[in-house]
Amino acid sequence: MEKKTVHEPNTHPKESTGVKLGKSFGSMFKRLFVREKDPLSVLEEEALQTPTQTIIKNFIRTKLGVVGVIAFILILLFSFVGSELRPIDESYQEPALSNVRPGANYLKYPSAIVKEGVKEISSGISFSVALTNQGNVYIWGKQPIYLSGRATSIFKLPKDFPQGKIAHIAAGDRFWVAISEDGKFYGFGYNNFSQLEVPQNVKMKIQTTAVRQLLAGEGVTGILLENGEIYIWGSTLATRQDIVPAAYQGRIVHAEITPLNVVVLLDDGTIGVFGTEGNEISDIPEELTDGSVKVVDFTTSGRAAMALDSEGKLHIWGSVMHGLLNIPEFEGNVVDLFGGKNNFGLLLDNGELVYWGANHFNQLKMPKEAKHTKYVAVYSDIFQNFAVAEDGTISAWGHEGFIFGSDQFGRDNLTRLIHGGRISLTVGAIAMIISVIIALIIGLVSGYFGGWVDNVLMRFTDVVISIHFMPLAITLSTIVTGSVPEMYRIYMIMVILGFLNWPGLARLIRAHLLLEREKDFVLAARALGVKQRNIMVRHILPNIFNLVIVNVTLGYASALLMESALSFLGFGVAPPTPSWGNMLDSAQKATVIEYYWWRWVIPGLAVVFAALSVNLIGDALRDAMDPKASEK
Amino acid sequence: MLKYLAKRLISMIPVVIAITIIIFALVKAMPGDPARMMINPALKEEQREAAYRAMREKLGLDYPMPVQYVKWIAATLSGDLGWSSMNNRPVKEVIAEPLRNTLILNVFVTICEIAVILPVGVVMAVRRGSLIDKFWQVFSLIGYSMPSFFIGLSLIFIFALKLKLLPPGSMPIAAYGKDLAYYLSWFKYMLLPMLSLTIISIAGSIRYVRNAMIEALSQDYIRTARSKGLSEKVVIYSHAFRNALIPISTIIIMSVFALLSGSAITEQVFAWKGIGYTLVLALNNRDYMLVITLNLLSTMLAITANIVADITYGIVDPRIKLE
Repeated sequence: MEKKTVHEPNTHPKESTGVKLGKSFGSMFKRLFVREKDPLSVLEEEALQTPTQTIIKNFIRTKLGVVGVIAFILILLFSFVGSELRPIDESYQEPALSNVRPGANYLKYPSAIVKEGVKEISSGISFSVALTNQGNVYIWGKQPIYLSGRATSIFKLPKDFPQGKIAHIAAGDRFWVAISEDGKFYGFGYNNFSQLEVPQNVKMKIQTTAVRQLLAGEGVTGILLENGEIYIWGSTLATRQDIVPAAYQGRIVHAEITPLNVVVLLDDGTIGVFGTEGNEISDIPEELTDGSVKVVDFTTSGRAAMALDSEGKLHIWGSVMHGLLNIPEFEGNVVDLFGGKNNFGLLLDNGELVYWGANHFNQLKMPKEAKHTKYVAVYSDIFQNFAVAEDGTISAWGHEGFIFGSDQFGRDNLTRLIHGGRISLTVGAIAMIISVIIALIIGLVSGYFGGWVDNVLMRFTDVVISIHFMPLAITLSTIVTGSVPEMYRIYMIMVILGFLNWPGLARLIRAHLLLEREKDFVLAARALGVKQRNIMVRHILPNIFNLVIVNVTLGYASALLMESALSFLGFGVAPPTPSWGNMLDSAQKATVIEYYWWRWVIPGLAVVFAALSVNLIGDALRDAMDPKASEK
Repeated sequence: MLKYLAKRLISMIPVVIAITIIIFALVKAMPGDPARMMINPALKEEQREAAYRAMREKLGLDYPMPVQYVKWIAATLSGDLGWSSMNNRPVKEVIAEPLRNTLILNVFVTICEIAVILPVGVVMAVRRGSLIDKFWQVFSLIGYSMPSFFIGLSLIFIFALKLKLLPPGSMPIAAYGKDLAYYLSWFKYMLLPMLSLTIISIAGSIRYVRNAMIEALSQDYIRTARSKGLSEKVVIYSHAFRNALIPISTIIIMSVFALLSGSAITEQVFAWKGIGYTLVLALNNRDYMLVITLNLLSTMLAITANIVADITYGIVDPRIKLE
């Protein structure tokens, strides 16, 4: 930046490409802005340089300016192309996935499980646990964040952990449990509801009776014994999942935990439900309870359940959300059925998979090889799916993780960053355009007419410039947002920012206009009899154009900062519409700042990068237009 | 001098009147009904209507707008700033403490800012292109591209939550009276907002100081001074720096002005109970009189800063006759 620029336009071997580029840009600008009568010959073109050409040439020489342009183009692509590629459902929330650490390795299972053969895979919100045929346990994914002391790492196995002798595993939302062949219980991760501590009476039972199935839900752990008895503990105070009806105890063949209930398959082929009453799952269709059909298998998703009877017919009940109850048509017999949190799946006897339900995390987007692979087992849990093929290979699809983490509502930070960028950049740009238009009108009128018009307009500028920006902006924002529907709020923010930002530029334009007006070329134009209005538009305006461009660029950076500050305070773009500022809105709590750093660092850095790149462009433009300044 | 001052003040009168009209209109346009906010919600239905009528009467809300405006101006001029519905105390009492907090914070920030930008700016100009110069240029560029709340949050993260050196925000409570320990802890709570605002204001102003100094160093009298054999120290400090002080003084005053405006966000981040923090609180609670007074106050501060800038300009540069 500090390099002295030597003006030798045609004899600089090093910068030949840059100069070429400059020329092509220059001629483009020339065609756009300069009236060209007859094209110049090659010799003339090299000898002469229009001011625009000089500016562009100088601009390309300042490396930081070019870096700024490239960075800004990247940011634009990220926000505008990205928001087309990655659509957002603003109202979608997934509380189960709140405050998840950045990471995208949920589906990257260790290769050892393929070698040893999968016996079971179970997934939590941000990790998966696999039990192999050799009795070994493998864990991958991300540690769910814990704030209280009542939690341990999900990855760190204790020294006495009996690898090779594990009988069952199960993963809950933020914890996982395992039981060894000799009936020893192990738990890892969240323990906020004591879900990792086996109650004393259950401990006695598992020492004498073999375990058929381990169960884990949202803060709840359960054990199903070979004698048909089930025991549930953990976060059961509100859901009452620990109270097993006497009619079921001892007759249970298979069980699954949903957020509010426990669904069980009894030895007579009927379905039973206990836990919270009066919800979508506890409302079982009659034929499943009165013994008219014999259920052989069932599965549950978050808010619905599905059972398969001995005649191969499917029975489905629960919430209609995400189209969970709309079973697609398929050909073949059902071998196995499984449910993620918001979707269902079927494994058919020809090895094909049928999936339906929500697709927020690509749960339905099966890998390419799925079409010609015959699967023998599928493990679907939460949002992760793993299918084991005949030859033992594994196909994984579904939720890969959040590269930039998730916020307090379980929304993907990356998606919100992309769409927030689109909003923030647009709001800043439109605010800037509004203020430039006002500044141009007031500056030009005032500078050109002079006299009382000038006096009145400049006093008006004084008034606006005297008003503190932030207090007035938030006061204005309160007024307009109180009386305007939510969807127009964003336009009002643009207008507010635009209306408060013009005075500085208007003064500058007026001052330069007064300078230019006294110059000889204006006198010459007047002597030639050019109309007043044409002198203004054709002769004076192009001379202050450079000034306006530089100030628009620098002003855009400050408009971006203003928008983010307003939204940060809660007076700008209103959630759920994302903007870089309001993504930080919730970051005013110490726990968020300290533990959920990705929720404020990432959008904050996005604002910094955008403003920095625009400022770099603005500085380089200013230096390019005023070569004297760059020599300082 | 006095004549100029008087002239300048008189020319500000229409501006002040226009501003008061704008602020008054804005606050009147705020959603909600101030009278309804101020009546006791525990009253019964039939009593409430009567109380509401009485409150409207008391607040003068039934008069036409121009009359209300004149009444408000008259009351404000006589020192009656109205009643704060949020605190249930006169506004005059309510704003005393935030005003003090904001002013103390900004005075400290200004002192720190000047202590840094003057020496560093001079060194940057004298040793142009050196490592120091480049460092501070990058610092300035990044600093003014950063949203102020991001600087605040980063400082809280580093100094308060990770290193646990300083409190993350808020202000101390005088539980045992205002003894020395109280003031010490008060200062400790002020350090982070102070640091945050200092960084912002240094980043915004240091390059102007550098440019002013470079401008001064490139003058002919500097060459003369050097060629007559004066030591470099004398050349820089008594010839160049003295002359650079003229633009620098305006830069500093303008940055103080910008500071008052920008501190609203920093106050919010650190829960520093200054004017900006109180304004956000008052807006969220629809405390009309407090909002109107705080807006008026910050605007008056801005106008004062402008006038002070003009006058200082005349004082540091004897060539400028204040006429």
